Amino acid sequence: MDTTVYVPIDDGARDAVAPTDHVPAVRARALTKTYGTGQAQVRALDGVDVDFAAGRFTAIMGPSGSGKSTLMHLLAGLDSATSGQAFLGTTDVTALGDKALTRLRRDRVGFVFQQFNLLPMFTAEQNITLPVELAGGTVDRAWFDTLVTTLGLSERLTHRPSELSGGQQQRVAIARALIAQPEVVFADEPTGNLDSRSGVEVLSFLRRSVRELGRTIIMVTHDPTAAAYADRVVLIADGRIAGEISDPTPEAVLAGLDALRSLETPVSDDVTPAGA
Amino acid sequence: MLRITLAQMRRSAGRLAAAGVAIVIGTAFVAATLLASGVITRMTYDSVAAQYGDADLVVGATQDAPLDVDALAATDGVAAVAPVTAIYAELTDGARSVYQSVVPTADDRLMPLEVTAGAMPSAAGEIALPADVADRLGVTLGDTVDVGRDVVGDDGSWRQVTETPAVVGLLDDPFGAYARTGGAAVVDAATYTTWQTEARGEPVAVTEAAVVVADGTDVTAAQSALAGTVGGATSTDSAPWVVTTDERAAESAAELTGGQDLMFLVFVLTFAAVALVVAGLVITNTFQVLVAQRARTLALLRCVGADKAQVGRSVLTEAAILGLVASVAGVLLGTALGQTALWVAHALDVPVPLPGAVALTWQVVVVPVLVGTVVTVGAALVPARVATRVAPLAALRPADSPSTSRRAGKVRLVLSLLTAAVGFGLLAAGAALGTVWQEPTLGLLAGIAGGALSFVGVAVGAVFWLPRVAAAAGRLVAASGPTARLAAANTLRNPRRTATTSTALLIGVTLVAMMTTGAASARTSLTAALDEQFPVDVMVTSTASDADGEQEALSGELRADVAAVDGVRATTDVSEILVRATSGAGSAATWLPLTAIDPAGGAEVLNAPDVLADLEPGTVLLGEVQAQDLALGTGDSVELTDTDGAVTVTVAVGASGDTSYLTTDDLAALSSDASVTGMYLALDDGVDAASAVGAIQDVVADSGESAQVTGVASQRALFDQVIDTMLGIVVGLLAVAVVIALIGVANTLSLSVIERRRESATLRAIGLSKAQLRGMLAIEGLLIAGVGAVLGVVLGLVYGWAGAGAALGIMGDVSLSVPWLEITLVLVVALVAGLVASVAPARTALKASPVEALATE
Repeated sequence: MDTTVYVPIDDGARDAVAPTDHVPAVRARALTKTYGTGQAQVRALDGVDVDFAAGRFTAIMGPSGSGKSTLMHLLAGLDSATSGQAFLGTTDVTALGDKALTRLRRDRVGFVFQQFNLLPMFTAEQNITLPVELAGGTVDRAWFDTLVTTLGLSERLTHRPSELSGGQQQRVAIARALIAQPEVVFADEPTGNLDSRSGVEVLSFLRRSVRELGRTIIMVTHDPTAAAYADRVVLIADGRIAGEISDPTPEAVLAGLDALRSLETPVSDDVTPAGA
Repeated sequence: MLRITLAQMRRSAGRLAAAGVAIVIGTAFVAATLLASGVITRMTYDSVAAQYGDADLVVGATQDAPLDVDALAATDGVAAVAPVTAIYAELTDGARSVYQSVVPTADDRLMPLEVTAGAMPSAAGEIALPADVADRLGVTLGDTVDVGRDVVGDDGSWRQVTETPAVVGLLDDPFGAYARTGGAAVVDAATYTTWQTEARGEPVAVTEAAVVVADGTDVTAAQSALAGTVGGATSTDSAPWVVTTDERAAESAAELTGGQDLMFLVFVLTFAAVALVVAGLVITNTFQVLVAQRARTLALLRCVGADKAQVGRSVLTEAAILGLVASVAGVLLGTALGQTALWVAHALDVPVPLPGAVALTWQVVVVPVLVGTVVTVGAALVPARVATRVAPLAALRPADSPSTSRRAGKVRLVLSLLTAAVGFGLLAAGAALGTVWQEPTLGLLAGIAGGALSFVGVAVGAVFWLPRVAAAAGRLVAASGPTARLAAANTLRNPRRTATTSTALLIGVTLVAMMTTGAASARTSLTAALDEQFPVDVMVTSTASDADGEQEALSGELRADVAAVDGVRATTDVSEILVRATSGAGSAATWLPLTAIDPAGGAEVLNAPDVLADLEPGTVLLGEVQAQDLALGTGDSVELTDTDGAVTVTVAVGASGDTSYLTTDDLAALSSDASVTGMYLALDDGVDAASAVGAIQDVVADSGESAQVTGVASQRALFDQVIDTMLGIVVGLLAVAVVIALIGVANTLSLSVIERRRESATLRAIGLSKAQLRGMLAIEGLLIAGVGAVLGVVLGLVYGWAGAGAALGIMGDVSLSVPWLEITLVLVVALVAGLVASVAPARTALKASPVEALATE
């Protein structure tokens, strides 16, 4: 039985949180995740300490197998940590049970997936409002309209996912992630399944969500161009934080990745160079 | 290719196993049926063989050239001979009587009955009774019992002679030699011959005799010697003949059961066929999903060079292997069930002699395995065709959730509509033929054809209308929240699969509902008809007559005692008299038996009070039979004459069967000394008729008065019991189909859950709680099962009513009943099973961690 008392932040209080670097929306402290035991043990995350500022668009970058996805899963409460802590605001996510985690995901976190993961039998509008309905709440129509207008979905609300292009589907997914006004949105390779034009479109929308709507977004990617849309890039390698770049450009990110690679001990062939 | 097929089977082992269970149950059903049929044949053989005791040979002859028993006994090597024969006699003690077969004493070795107390009769005036018959009659060793036997006079007229032998022995029938005739009483051989001869009016020819061969004599040698004596052969091709007991028993068992066990086999196999059809639907569904899931692998196979036929064959091979394995398992299960049933029956000491073990013939093994395999492969044909349509290109497309929601063809729609329309038309025609034109045979034929045809139409068209019904039901539940909305939307994603799953359940539920509705309607209609035909629960009638041939009265004491018996609700006295009826001047007087009754008292006890509605002073209520005999109709007047005078009364023809009624007031005018010769009794509702009638019989027997107790009540109870038993058996057999269908619901849900793994994970990631996920699947299960069950009940009601109309219309007004209890039970079972079916899939779905939603395959 989960005994953690979780107090949701009401909308008014949330709006009051100023988007400054001093109030981290998400923090990791000595966060460690290992798989397997003994000889076969793999340290996917090795004592990570990192802060993510509220009201900012942060990209987590690193080569395949660097632990960037694991880091995101732990921060979002999707997976359990071996040791260390992950905080969402002041809540220690690693200490929560399944029920509390479900409520946390429902009310305080949004997700954007690489595969969109929309429900095929529901229309775009139904997909967007689903998280609110699952929580038993009522949809804030004004916020819904703002989202739909910002994401350019007004004409597509009655369409089912199969009638939408990949970019449109991902925009619906972004709207779904933002509908409950979560404290933070996690995006996992949101452009991985999109052609470059749609990818640019989606990244622009993510950035607008941060700049115009005041949301906090943490995006995992291995595409330097995508990472360049973020306010800040956190580089990760071998389960450790390997550096960060503020106000990145694609070139700066590439350079950072190259620097990483040269630091690394000889890597196996299957590590794909970022951006390849 | 076989290697790939096997590898794919290993990967889908769990899913195939779930589908295989359906085939296992279906084939177990077939195997158990064949075994039961074998047991019945075996039982008949055993009981026939037991009749011959320990005989080695049986000799047979024709009526024209009968056997000479003495000559047989004198033949070399023969130790003992006994004719195979039986007569019937009525055994009576007080008010209880039993119609019993009677056999003569014989050599111990040729007597299948065993003495459990006392001894076999050895002289005239002695009798041995089966222990249970003695119990029923309430006699024991040393008591006497009345034996009424028929005697033919010289003029060919019949009369009954009553003997009162003493009971000297109680018998047991350990091998069931006389099980088919309810046991046999034994009298000594000389007495038996006398009785038999007097019953026929001439000596009765012996046409069959059992023979024991002397110790040390070769049976074959004795057989030849006997053949010499009778001048016959050693086979039964032509009489006279001499054969071994085994040969004779096998032959007469075949004669006895020739038609019956085949009927039984066909009857039960019909239900097995229904179960297998349902199992086939479950298999089709499973393979369709498997093919959809493997689309990528199949496409890859096509890419690397497999042709269409190979892909199709791979699916069919898989089905054949599954069918074979499941069928063999089914035969094993069926055999185990059959053997267990025998053990249980033995442990419970059922009064029928049963073989100790089931007989595994090659048919019992081969037929179910063959049928099971063919059904499985047949069910996989459509999925195999779908598999051949997977384009090699599909291997290159991104893996998306497989979709099989192909639009069903227009041809199918038109065909199913036509079939259903013609079928329902025929069904209506059948009901009309039965009720309006009173042609039950034609009506039933049309009804069965129409029912089958319309159901095929309904089932084939299920893919069009069932999802819509599910959608409507879904909309109803969707209002209750997002979980229900998700569930409703899910059931519509794959209309074809939902339709097949619901159809499987629909078949079973329709048949169960049809049978219960039909039985309920039959019961109501037949009870109404019985009430009219036999309006009185129990009648007590004096059987003694005085010197003038008039019936003697029942004493007031006896009447009071009978009225006081537990379970008797009301009684009314009646007088049965014979009067002369003259229907007009000049016409001859006719004897007319009348029952005088007080109309008010009669209405109190009659099951159909309307029968006496027209009976009032000054009228005679004629039964239809008498009215016809006397050529009288309602409104005519008739003069009745008896000892004390005559009255002229108006005729009313009623629905009183073959009884005519007069009021007690009019009786007084006819005969001043008419006495109460009988009484009508009504029993309390719900009382056990058989025991109430038994109690009344006891009271009458104890009174010492001669009176007969006849109770239609116990007949009706028996009749109800027969309907209930038949219904129980049929519903039990159909329940197998329902169980298979419910396995199908669970299977479909499991497959859907596996398909929707990523989606479940997504839902969990965006805030669906575990309870909500469980609830969603529970509602899906309820929707699929509920739609099938509700529609099945509706269809079953229609079929049941149409069938009752077609078959029972000839008996008068058909009452259409709804067996609420049974129908509620069916619905509850289906819904609960739908819920239960969602438990395991929900567990699988909950295992999917939200992380999987993010994984990129």
